[in-house]
Amino acid sequence: MTSGIGARVLRKEDDRHLRGRGQFVGDIKLPGLREVAFLRSPVAHARIKRIVVPEELRGKVFTAADLEGVKAIRAVSALPGFKPSEQPVLASGKVRYVGELVAACVAPSRAEAEDLAERVEVEFEELPVVADMLAARAEGAPLVHEQWGDNVYLETFVKGDIATAAASAPVKVTREFRTARQCMSPLEGKGVVASWEPRRDQLVVYTSTQQPHIVRTGLSECLGIDHGKIRVIAPDVGGGFGFKGILCPEEVAVAYLARRLGRPLRWIEDRREQLIATANCREHHYVITAYADREGKLLALDAEATVDAGAYSAYPFSACLEAAQVASILPGPYDFPAYQCRTWSIASNKPPILPYRGVARTGVCFAMELILDAIAREIGREPHEVRQKNLVRPEQMPFENVTKKHFDSGDYPECLRRAVTAIDLEGVRARQKRGEADGRRIGVGFSIFCEQAAHGTSVYAGWGIPMVPGHEQATARLTPDGGLELRLGIQSHGQGLETTLAQVANEVLGVAIDRVNVVHGDTEYTPYSTGTWGSRCMVMAGGAVARACQEMKKRVLAIGAKMLQASLDEVKLAGGEVVGPAGSVSLAEVARTWYLRPQDLPADVDPGGLEVTTGYKPVRDSGTFSYAAHAAVVAVDTELGAVEILDYVVVEDGGVLVNPMIVDGQVYGGTAQGVGTALYEEMPFDEAGQPQASTLADYLLPGATEVPAIRIEHMETPSPYSEFGQKGIGEGGAIGPPAAIANAINDALAPLGVEVTETPVTPRRLLAALAAARRSAA
Amino acid sequence: MSDRSTISLTVNGEPVTAEVEPRQHLADFLREKLLLTGTHLGCEHGVCGACTLMIDGAPARSCITLAVACDGAAVRTIEDFDDDPVMAELRAAFSAEHALQCGYCTPGMLMTARDIVTRLPEADAARIRVELSGNLCRCTGYVGIVNAIQRVLKARAGNPSGA
Repeated sequence: MTSGIGARVLRKEDDRHLRGRGQFVGDIKLPGLREVAFLRSPVAHARIKRIVVPEELRGKVFTAADLEGVKAIRAVSALPGFKPSEQPVLASGKVRYVGELVAACVAPSRAEAEDLAERVEVEFEELPVVADMLAARAEGAPLVHEQWGDNVYLETFVKGDIATAAASAPVKVTREFRTARQCMSPLEGKGVVASWEPRRDQLVVYTSTQQPHIVRTGLSECLGIDHGKIRVIAPDVGGGFGFKGILCPEEVAVAYLARRLGRPLRWIEDRREQLIATANCREHHYVITAYADREGKLLALDAEATVDAGAYSAYPFSACLEAAQVASILPGPYDFPAYQCRTWSIASNKPPILPYRGVARTGVCFAMELILDAIAREIGREPHEVRQKNLVRPEQMPFENVTKKHFDSGDYPECLRRAVTAIDLEGVRARQKRGEADGRRIGVGFSIFCEQAAHGTSVYAGWGIPMVPGHEQATARLTPDGGLELRLGIQSHGQGLETTLAQVANEVLGVAIDRVNVVHGDTEYTPYSTGTWGSRCMVMAGGAVARACQEMKKRVLAIGAKMLQASLDEVKLAGGEVVGPAGSVSLAEVARTWYLRPQDLPADVDPGGLEVTTGYKPVRDSGTFSYAAHAAVVAVDTELGAVEILDYVVVEDGGVLVNPMIVDGQVYGGTAQGVGTALYEEMPFDEAGQPQASTLADYLLPGATEVPAIRIEHMETPSPYSEFGQKGIGEGGAIGPPAAIANAINDALAPLGVEVTETPVTPRRLLAALAAARRSAA
Repeated sequence: MSDRSTISLTVNGEPVTAEVEPRQHLADFLREKLLLTGTHLGCEHGVCGACTLMIDGAPARSCITLAVACDGAAVRTIEDFDDDPVMAELRAAFSAEHALQCGYCTPGMLMTARDIVTRLPEADAARIRVELSGNLCRCTGYVGIVNAIQRVLKARAGNPSGA
């Protein structure tokens, strides 16, 4: 059985986790370890008048004044007009959100460190708070960063010629949408263990991150220490979803103090810290007007989007990535001629937002797909028919849309047709006519979207954030016994890259999967990489492994040919052996010759030997475009406001699937998160900027009874630009559900004149919408 | 703050006697004092289930169980199940059904899964989902987990001796 590209190989990483022997950052114990607890701001906006640290706590409690030579975190963008923020490691002068770090307390145990934090007195002079992005955008709002003069990190405007359509379009639909602030909520929180190692004169930082090399660069900048004196290790990481793609102030503080105190320190985030202060994401507001003809063909789209980016621009993705992305991807997989979009990235007295699986796409998909359903209702058509009028067609591929996004391949109309069939639209319509015995209302909803992934230099250069991805590098090394080591600067935290990258090597070299050792997540042993984000690893790291193994193959064949006394064109690599006309030699024999019997090597042997580092970029780096259609059937209880998902279908095209089992896992998991976004998850703040959810009893994550038995169908249109035709597919599952589920709810409630436009669709929101509809009908 | 108490219990079959602070929960005691780090902490308020282990033969959340309350108890953590035949079946099924990704919820999930398999041999998918409601997974969407438990139940139904 093959274990190369396309094989359903079971994961190499499973066994250690199934025996409780994974090693997460919280599992790391070093001799003399001390724990850190942070004193965090209890208020959202205030001047710090003074901080009183009791005399006996000196040397145990540290404030901004103690951080000698530590620079603020700065995540800039080259987009014109962007205003950078200075995010202090520990608050200095002002606090700008509840949960901002004020002091670091060091003790033998976390509990004792928290005891110390309680003994620090901080005198605050409270300032007016701005906790809502629209209020923050308005003139005269309290200023988060006074020197700016307003609260706008960045305003962008994509101008389009929409005037003609606006004047003549027979159908005009305007809607306002909101998506809640969320928390990505990986089961493992952030955490960091740092120690200064005198032998290497090096700071060693274990941290729960998706981007070890970027954390190293950030630490180097903030601490003023050479890269060579910092080693960042990401051990097993218990989920990331974008949250762990950050340099966080806690990492900087703990690293600095470990060096200063000369002893290992550890900070392990607790759930409360994560919810209220560190893992916020995704708060969008849209006002969109769509112009269409009577058939539902889009003529123009006029949009305004505001993103609440919180108090600071987070490193490295910045405070403007999300809104800038909105402007460029709002048109989705649709072909229409005129588009205009204004966006604001807004500062508020709330935690900085970070990217979350799908980044802006989940909000964009929600807004766009709800607008299309609104058009469908306006003209009395089935929503899927309206989509078919507008979707990019397969014969247009590769296709450049109205915002110059370059779609690589695919058949979007077919994807939607399959979803319509799989969800049995006709059957649902018939059931709706019959009505439900329990009085609930049934609805069906669709969403279709694309997921640009593994986009590289050409896309990110324009945004000019602190990191722009270039060539992804991999090192391949054959060991003297014929095993293969792969070294990569990305980090695998659930995606199964220890397995799938081994599959790539198996495809090229024929090395058995269990002889491949994937080394990742450690700056000491791996080539530089921007890390694991943007669904890039299977395309970029997979491509890099392929390149390195292809070069290795050449070198192996050259040595093998000599050993077989054959010419190069007479030998080939098959089944992990060099096969010649009169015999074969194994990779182990080739390796042994290079390392230990050099007298048998050809005279012109490549002196690079059996260790190859090389880089990879796809043929085009504008990204692979996976896409999917989601379809949901829901039952809505209009008395309780409860929504039950009765059926859920995903038809997904992720190009060539390297490991279909792992792809399905990504789709299932992403979709479950999308169900949370649609119905449950919300991180609310009151007018004073106080977080209103601080436990998992308030911030509701979907459990096994909330997530339906999702059905997946695959299409496999290869990308013309990636090494094996694979496409990035890690985020798509999380993009489609809020739109499909909200459309299904709106379908169910259309006869009552109810239309939801905000996520999550909680019972409270749903009942309010029902009550409002009853009032306006009366 | 530290009116320490002495407790005696068995952990993974070994007798343990230790002094603990009254406020220390069982998970911290196991992880920090006994270095049994297979028990994971996800929320420390009893919602996520990552810290689920066995106390006197029943699954329990070690983050809301104080160590001092475990005097005399028999505690089993994931590290004690290497040779357990039911857990061996579950490990194989979890891998075959891709029931884990990051692995953080996995030890707690396995504890609950083992409890379902041994206590509810007739459980169907819907019942399994209800039984899993005390264990959150953020990666898999639960599909593989439910399938894995069903796979083990089915295999055991065809082979009632359980061997």
